[in-house]
Amino acid sequence: MLWVDKYRPKTLDKVTVHDQVAQNLRKLVSEQDCPHLLFYGPSGSGKKTLILALIKQMFGAGAEKVRMENKTWKIDTGTRTLEIELAMLSSAHHVEMNPSDAGFQDRYVVQEVIKEMAKNRPIDAKGKRAFKVLVLNEVDKLSREAQHSLRRTMEKYSASCRLILCCNSSSKVTEAVRSRCLNVRVNAPTEDQIVQVLEFIGKKENLHLPAGFATRIAAQSNRNLRRAILFFETCKVQQYPFTSNQVAPPLDWEQYVSEIATDILTEQSPKRLYAVRQKLYELLVNCIPPESILKKLLTELLRKLDADLKHEICHWAAHYEHKMRLGSKAIFHLEGMLSPLLSSAYYS
Amino acid sequence: MGKRPPVVLLSSSSGEDDGGGRRGPSARRSRTPASAPARARAQSQEASGSRKKPRRESSVGRGRRRASATAPSDSLKAEFDMLSEDFSECFDDLGMSGSIRKTKELWVEKYTPHSLAELAVHKKKVEDVKKWLEEKLTAPKKTVGGWSLVLTGHTGVGKSATVKAIAADLGADLCEWTTPVPTLWAEHVHANSGLRYISKLEEFENFVEKIRKYAMLRPTSTTSQGKLFIVLIDDIPVTSGNAAFARLGKCLTGLIRSTQVPTVISLTHYHKSESNNTATWNSEDLESLLQDAGAHKISFNPVTTNSIKKILIRICKEERYNASQELLHQIAISSGGDIRHAIMSLQYYSLDPRGHCSSLATNTTRAGSRCGNSLVPRRENYGLSSALPSPCGRDETLTLFHALGKFLHNKREINCDVDIDLDPFPLKENLRRNSLKMDVPEKILSQAHGKVRTVVDFLYENVLDFIDNEAVDDAWAVVSYLSEADCLLTGSPIVSYNSENMGQLIAASVAARGVLFGNAHVASSRWHTIRSPKLWQTEQSFRSNKDQILKERFDCSSSCGSCSFSDIVTEFRPLERWIGPRNAGSRISSLPHGVGGSVLVGRLDADGSNSEDDDNVIEEC
Repeated sequence: MLWVDKYRPKTLDKVTVHDQVAQNLRKLVSEQDCPHLLFYGPSGSGKKTLILALIKQMFGAGAEKVRMENKTWKIDTGTRTLEIELAMLSSAHHVEMNPSDAGFQDRYVVQEVIKEMAKNRPIDAKGKRAFKVLVLNEVDKLSREAQHSLRRTMEKYSASCRLILCCNSSSKVTEAVRSRCLNVRVNAPTEDQIVQVLEFIGKKENLHLPAGFATRIAAQSNRNLRRAILFFETCKVQQYPFTSNQVAPPLDWEQYVSEIATDILTEQSPKRLYAVRQKLYELLVNCIPPESILKKLLTELLRKLDADLKHEICHWAAHYEHKMRLGSKAIFHLEGMLSPLLSSAYYS
Repeated sequence: MGKRPPVVLLSSSSGEDDGGGRRGPSARRSRTPASAPARARAQSQEASGSRKKPRRESSVGRGRRRASATAPSDSLKAEFDMLSEDFSECFDDLGMSGSIRKTKELWVEKYTPHSLAELAVHKKKVEDVKKWLEEKLTAPKKTVGGWSLVLTGHTGVGKSATVKAIAADLGADLCEWTTPVPTLWAEHVHANSGLRYISKLEEFENFVEKIRKYAMLRPTSTTSQGKLFIVLIDDIPVTSGNAAFARLGKCLTGLIRSTQVPTVISLTHYHKSESNNTATWNSEDLESLLQDAGAHKISFNPVTTNSIKKILIRICKEERYNASQELLHQIAISSGGDIRHAIMSLQYYSLDPRGHCSSLATNTTRAGSRCGNSLVPRRENYGLSSALPSPCGRDETLTLFHALGKFLHNKREINCDVDIDLDPFPLKENLRRNSLKMDVPEKILSQAHGKVRTVVDFLYENVLDFIDNEAVDDAWAVVSYLSEADCLLTGSPIVSYNSENMGQLIAASVAARGVLFGNAHVASSRWHTIRSPKLWQTEQSFRSNKDQILKERFDCSSSCGSCSFSDIVTEFRPLERWIGPRNAGSRISSLPHGVGGSVLVGRLDADGSNSEDDDNVIEEC
């Protein structure tokens, strides 16, 4: 088991980084009711850990027995029936899914799933909580229509189910949804906190950490705890005992993206653009999300370009990031972002 | 000019009143005397043509009465009524009641060529066919093989007419397979009315069998009388599916091998895009099959515009119908080499009493409407006029690849600066493009009947090949237009799947025009194969990879719930290759699509070569 999973706090009591938030959550569920919740914060800050711990707090160990299934939803839109297949994790008490995977049919999924959950309302003999929890990931990627239907269904079925929404940026969630939830902001852990966690793991694993090693990894992780722990474990695999100047290997896809950036800056021609396209395809086949590619590409380009071109490329990146969200074929827009760099006007 | 809009609306329905409308009411009055004799002539012709049709005469008379009553009043409303009435009358006459009446009326049948001189087909082809037939008719009867001729060509180029005319010329009898009235399967099922269902293919097989037997008998009975026979097979049954096609093929090859009578088989070429959908046999397959069996092949080209015009003029003369040169020219061009269609169009025009006058009056503005394969080069402006539908035009169909080729090759007129000075809105130098050497892109798209998504994907995949290697700005422009098109496509609601909605059409238009406009410096034309979009393959493998990754992740950490997918791919997976519980190697190779995976991994392994050894160390944790 990876250290990330192994040392993930299972209960709210054991949470160390966001202990204040965890205590509040514990108090929240100890009372009879629990409102809808919206967790937001940057990637690797511990949202999911908090959610899982919270569910365990609510339902006990039964919530840990999850199974994964690819469920096909048949949805009657009036004119025709859609079939949407979605992967979901479910236990007796909660269901976790990622509705934005359904693309532009996400609104149907949201409605349909909640309706179905409401129908199969669990009957608990002991008079315990008779509601299920639905965890929806990446709510910020839901389309506007889906968020509106979410709002409606949240109200309608609030008796039978609780929603826990999870997203990176609350600004992409509509006001209506936000106001119906208790918003929980989960900050990115500070580097000191990350160092503490790494040292804790090191102690558990009986490792000797040279001075400054944990700090370096924390800095490299960009305040992403998950990434920090993964880097830590990678370093351990690569070389132990740790040397004083050891760093984690760069992520392969990031390297690949920076290669693309170099490619496009060394030669400007339609042929080169075509070659770059093939590389982008490779990344996409490996399921690297296009948003991440675009972001990384931009940082790489910003490092390499002259100062007077920087704002220009930022403009195009923003433009095509927006287009990418509107459109469906990411590759069109990724290439669109790169193609201004081809323009001879930039290098004259 | 103020009254133009309503009249333009009329003209699009009647198709013939463009110029008259533009000149306004005063011009309308001046035109009436010109059109009156035409009407009279038309009516007299109707009257002399057939006296047994009181309904029709009266309807023409009524139309005329109405017309003469309203023309002086100059009311647009009345004009509209009149036009629409006449229009529907024309339809009545030609379509619905026309088939009930005596078919002699149809000019196509009335003017079927009876002698070789009347044929519109190229002399050389006629000579070829005639020579072959003569040779066979005089040849010794005992030889086996080489007795069949395959005529190919598009519809309406005169394949059957040629054979018939030659047969008449040579004094030979023509044996044709008259297709029996089919019993519909439904009828057969419905009632035991004694109708036995026989598939057309079966009947055809029986027929072929009969010819073969008949051919055996012939030398004893018929040659003695000096009678010559030609068998013409014009109506080959449509088969669907491989089994039926094989049966048909076997039947025909058997015929070709064994027949001892000159046998002419005429095969009509269809456009690929038409036959694709219906899964019927494709004429090329059959053609090559027949040729393999030893049939001689003569292919007919579309009839030239000039020949069609000649025929049309002759018909006009005989019918005493006064058609303008312009009209005939237009009919000839728009028929696309299909003489039957051209004659039908002419007859249709002759029914419209005002047809020729208005086309005379507007011969300058009507030049715009034309069809795909114009044989006469003309200078045209591609403005509004080309969008006006020509009432006699035949819709051309294109294959998807043909259309893509047009967009990608982006052929334009060479000499540009003809009317730049006349342009009321001068464009900047870099936005100016020469006019296209093709129809408007929307028309091509509609002819190609491809799904918009497909067209856009294909354009995206292939367009970079066609951009000149120096023209990097063009690549930018093209890519940005395609990006817009993608957004438009996604935005259009998915519910109305089969009916192309507005958003889709706009997206297609943006994509096609974007490619045409953006690609200002076309790469020197050379042979390019059009690739199928790699995007599709990518998407497919993306989905399967994604499922697999999710499953793996779940196996690793079943109790911990899922992470968001993007975290898994961007963080877990790259590092898992190092940490990887057991066997990083086998996992990678199990990916169904190894393009990226192998490259990425291969490179990494080169960086850190000792990863394999360490895997075992970390195994249990």
